[in-house]
Amino acid sequence: MNTTDIVKTLDGTLVAGGESDRTVGTVVANDLMSDVLLNDGDDILLLTSLASDQAIRTANIVGAMCVVVHNAKPLPQTMCQVADTLGIPLVSSPLSKYESCVRIHAFLEAEAGA
Amino acid sequence: MDYKPTILTGGDTRSDDQIMAAHERRNVRRVSGPGLPGSDGKGEPLVIMELLQRLRVKDVMRDHDIISVVRTDTMHFAQNLMKRNHISGVPVVEGSRLFGIVSINDIIMALEGGWIGDPCQKHMATNLVVLEEDMPLAFALKYFENYIFGRFPVLNKERDLVGIVSQRDVTRVLMRELTKELARLEGTPGGAQPEAKSEGALPYYSMRQFVVVRNDLSNAGKAANEIKKMLSEAGVGKKTIRRIAVAAYELEINVCIHSLGGSITFILDSHKATVIAKDKGPGIKDVEWALRDGTSTANDWIRSMGFGAGMGLSNSKRVADVFDIKSAVPTGTTVLCEFNLDAPSAVRTA
Repeated sequence: MNTTDIVKTLDGTLVAGGESDRTVGTVVANDLMSDVLLNDGDDILLLTSLASDQAIRTANIVGAMCVVVHNAKPLPQTMCQVADTLGIPLVSSPLSKYESCVRIHAFLEAEAGA
Repeated sequence: MDYKPTILTGGDTRSDDQIMAAHERRNVRRVSGPGLPGSDGKGEPLVIMELLQRLRVKDVMRDHDIISVVRTDTMHFAQNLMKRNHISGVPVVEGSRLFGIVSINDIIMALEGGWIGDPCQKHMATNLVVLEEDMPLAFALKYFENYIFGRFPVLNKERDLVGIVSQRDVTRVLMRELTKELARLEGTPGGAQPEAKSEGALPYYSMRQFVVVRNDLSNAGKAANEIKKMLSEAGVGKKTIRRIAVAAYELEINVCIHSLGGSITFILDSHKATVIAKDKGPGIKDVEWALRDGTSTANDWIRSMGFGAGMGLSNSKRVADVFDIKSAVPTGTTVLCEFNLDAPSAVRTA
């Protein structure tokens, strides 16, 4: 599952950071950045409701491959700038975080079974 | 008759050429050192900072011939011991266990009060300030600054007395190490990074300091990101970079949201990476409580920003090879995280 798949699956829009060839290794759905930092997984897809610079900076620290912000929350301009600077794809989705989890799980299951 | 420039050379009988050569040698020495305020005005503080972190209390303490008394020795005996050895205090020990200290003040009080014949255990100070042998030297210097004592007992992890450290010991070792370091820097063009930096090789050392402003969450995390970049450029392995970056980030956020502001200092050398977070207060009342997972004094605003889960300090401790925290109310908190870079996994292989 790469950035294009994420955007399509979550009815989202890639708003900053650019496309990436990286694929999802671990999915983390969390709004508490310290919890995100606890995760040891690689190529993290971060699903969050936190529309702030810190979501991107945290993603960068853990080497995340993409960040998705939910409920079509307005994204601060600075957040997009940080995503562009650090080269982390930032996706806005109208879905709830729960719905995103369900869809991504289904996608990854199908991908594994294929 | 040969002319000899006696006035200029103070009766020197060397030839003019020899004298000129000597002048040149002196001039060369003057330009390149050995005075610490040296050539580029930037390197020396880095050298000192690095030394203060690299050197441990055990590197400077005296660990042999410790002059001490036992509890049943008289104050008079302690007085004579101090007088004979020109020292201002003696530890009271049994085996390697430290029970107290008799200082010159205790002796004066004993002379005035008439109890100089009493055993030391009756009048020794038992509320002691001690150093631990693995503390960075920077902590020892802070102790000398904060307390009036001229020497501190040094304990190991088992709380045994393993040495004594005085300001004189610190100065002696610091001067020796600084001389070595300066000789090394002078011997190599370029100073701060003397080793050729081949691809993937770690530089000898580098240091950066970042200012962290209170409640400035829009900029918090920049230091950690810079540190991550530096580590990546230095060829450190991905997993190690992540551990160091997590600690730096958590500590940076902590300074930002919980303190009055402070700094993050990052020191990288061939063997280890060190992150030091230092703030200007208000300090932590109960450090043990603060280190527990899930405990936090964060307010709703901080939580709305994705922080304040009470994981910051414990996360930093979890990822670090060495973790140390010192806090005093209201002066502030200093947290140190060290990461060993000698393990094969710490260096990037591909």
